[in-house]
Amino acid sequence: MKEELQVAFIGNPNCGKTTLFNAYTGAKLKVANWPGVTVEKKEGAFKYHSHLFKLVDLPGIYSLTSYTLEEKLSREYILDDTVDVIVDVADASCLERNLFLTLQLIELGKPVILALNMMDIVKERGMEIDLHRLPEMLGIPVIPVSARKKTGLDILMHAVAHHQVKHMDSNLEHHHDGNVSNHKHSHHLEYAVVYSDEIEDKIDEIIDRLYMHDPDLKNPRWYAIKILEQDPEICEQFQIDFSDVVPRSYETDIINQKYDFIEEIIDEVLVNKEEKAAKTEKIDHYLTHRVLGLPIFLGIMALVFFLTFTIGDWLKGYFEVGITGISDGVLALLQHLHANDMVISLVVDGIISGVGGILTFLPNIFILFLALAFLEDSGYMSRVAYIMDGIMGKIGLSGRAFIPMLLGFGCSVPAVMATRALEDSNDRRKTILVTPFMSCSARLPVYVLFSDMFFGNYAVIAAFSMYVIGLVIAILIAFIMTKLQKKSETHSLLIELPEYKTPNLHTIVIYVWDKIKDYLTKAGTTIFVASIIIWFILNVGPHGIVTDITESFGAGIGKFLVPILVPTGLGLWQIALALISGLAAKEVVVSSIGVLFGIGNIASTNGRSALLEVLSNADFTAVNAYSMMIFVLLYTPCVATIATIKREMKSVRWTVFAIVFQVAVAWLVSTLFFQIAQILM
Amino acid sequence: MTLFEGDINQEYRIDQVEVEGNVGRRLQSLGLIHDTFIKVVNKKKNGAIIFKARGTRLAVGKDIAKKILVCTKEC
Repeated sequence: MKEELQVAFIGNPNCGKTTLFNAYTGAKLKVANWPGVTVEKKEGAFKYHSHLFKLVDLPGIYSLTSYTLEEKLSREYILDDTVDVIVDVADASCLERNLFLTLQLIELGKPVILALNMMDIVKERGMEIDLHRLPEMLGIPVIPVSARKKTGLDILMHAVAHHQVKHMDSNLEHHHDGNVSNHKHSHHLEYAVVYSDEIEDKIDEIIDRLYMHDPDLKNPRWYAIKILEQDPEICEQFQIDFSDVVPRSYETDIINQKYDFIEEIIDEVLVNKEEKAAKTEKIDHYLTHRVLGLPIFLGIMALVFFLTFTIGDWLKGYFEVGITGISDGVLALLQHLHANDMVISLVVDGIISGVGGILTFLPNIFILFLALAFLEDSGYMSRVAYIMDGIMGKIGLSGRAFIPMLLGFGCSVPAVMATRALEDSNDRRKTILVTPFMSCSARLPVYVLFSDMFFGNYAVIAAFSMYVIGLVIAILIAFIMTKLQKKSETHSLLIELPEYKTPNLHTIVIYVWDKIKDYLTKAGTTIFVASIIIWFILNVGPHGIVTDITESFGAGIGKFLVPILVPTGLGLWQIALALISGLAAKEVVVSSIGVLFGIGNIASTNGRSALLEVLSNADFTAVNAYSMMIFVLLYTPCVATIATIKREMKSVRWTVFAIVFQVAVAWLVSTLFFQIAQILM
Repeated sequence: MTLFEGDINQEYRIDQVEVEGNVGRRLQSLGLIHDTFIKVVNKKKNGAIIFKARGTRLAVGKDIAKKILVCTKEC
């Protein structure tokens, strides 16, 4: 028995693979209630008894063909020799659909164990599964588990350890439309699915030829089936002419016969098939209503942002008091220690002003992600794709493309990665290009700061309007691109709608904590370093340390860009420099502004009124502030997003285009706004 | 008739799925094949439709719905 076992988790999308993976490894990978959350394979390990289990969590797939990216990658991975045991995770409450992949996995010829997940939900719904007959019919071990309630976990790994060597002892008879198969071989002893005589004869013939070609071929039956399906990858691999045996693709026949067998299984093992899913139906009656659906969705989003700004701002008040206290304390301490003036300036004006200024926005970020976590974990995301399908169809995308865009309200990086679920590469490119226009949480501090200073009682509306502008620009650009491409292709929606469930506290905590941690890490790393750099280039010039900030390197760089920014109403060198620093992370715009304008504590009310005074003296008014917010909303996203875009598009040229394009859009829109506002006022 | 013309809360039987390419394959994998029973749960003016088949609830756009040929349960 091997001491170290490589175990791959595979299954349909949204069946709970990642929840199970987390339960074993203690990892805190993101889970949510919509299909396609996991886009990359994740590895983890844990020890159980004397074995070291190396687990791999794969993206969800519906079948083992090689037509989509996820299917190709997952199939390649489990076909690899390093995988010892495949754990097929199935959502027991949708057994019929899940078994299709199970049958394909069994045909692969590797040890497979079926983990029947969500058994708690099955019970809740009054369904029952015959756990004796199911393994008999499939010929593989079946272990009921609940990843959420952490039941059945030990027994599943126990089964993995003991079934690493495949053995079969099933005894099955298939009924092909009532005809008893008279095929000459006793396949029923070996294979879960036995096809009609016509197909089995062909499989035998193909296997003979494959053996002639390669006598050491492992599991030729699987290859034979794939050749019958005319799978492009497998056909390429062998380069043998089978046109006499396989005059056409038998894919449909094979799928139909698999589903015939699945119907036999369901008939025998599932009791109370007509489950009571009334709750989901009732909720869907309103949320996917043909008239009310869209207004309800817009209402929910408005509520999300309203809570983010109101409750967030209320909590932010307490944070500001705390940060001011720390800043004052550190200043007093450093002065008491008679520290060098330069050091005091670096710590207080550079680091605390930069990092502290950002930390005060934590409550806003917290509320936003809490709300998004609820949306994702409830099952509503798939419904949004359905609701938005009409509007998205008009701009040449399917409703599915709206999911990445919605995720973009949180962070552009996972949003760009979520576009993998889109089948068409052209759709994907378009979605990746417009997703960064959806206002991510990093831009929120900029809106809060500027709207607080310039818009008084209308601050919430001014900030909220950024989200609307971002969405409108994204849709407009997708629309123009579609018109330019002049393709009349249809981009149809196809998405599974999971059952609604009460959001799980543990899942929400993981989700929100993960984001908060990211934010804090960013404050401690990117923003910390950016604040120091900004402080240095403001205090150092061509002739060494400068006393007049306008002679510094920073001022030089900023002034160089001023002419370009004048039409947008942002013709101040400090603003120019702040915008450049925002490429590191958009929050840095806020921390830089504090440092650039020499405002000790930008987070406090005093700091803000001081900043307002400085800006007003420079003729920077509410119109300029709004133009600034628009520019920050639309211009090139942070380096992390750029890196993700490059990784997903696999093209430097395309990435450079995206960057230039986004800066151009930002410049154009804010110039347009500023110039029109100037004329009107 | 096509699924596009289906009425809410009515059950139908799939006659043929004429969707091609990857989406067609995905539909097959989901078990939307000849003789599968499907029940329309909800639909919108623009043609997007929610239905249930084999215990799974799916939403499809108008273009797909128009290419799924169905007949009434009894036929």
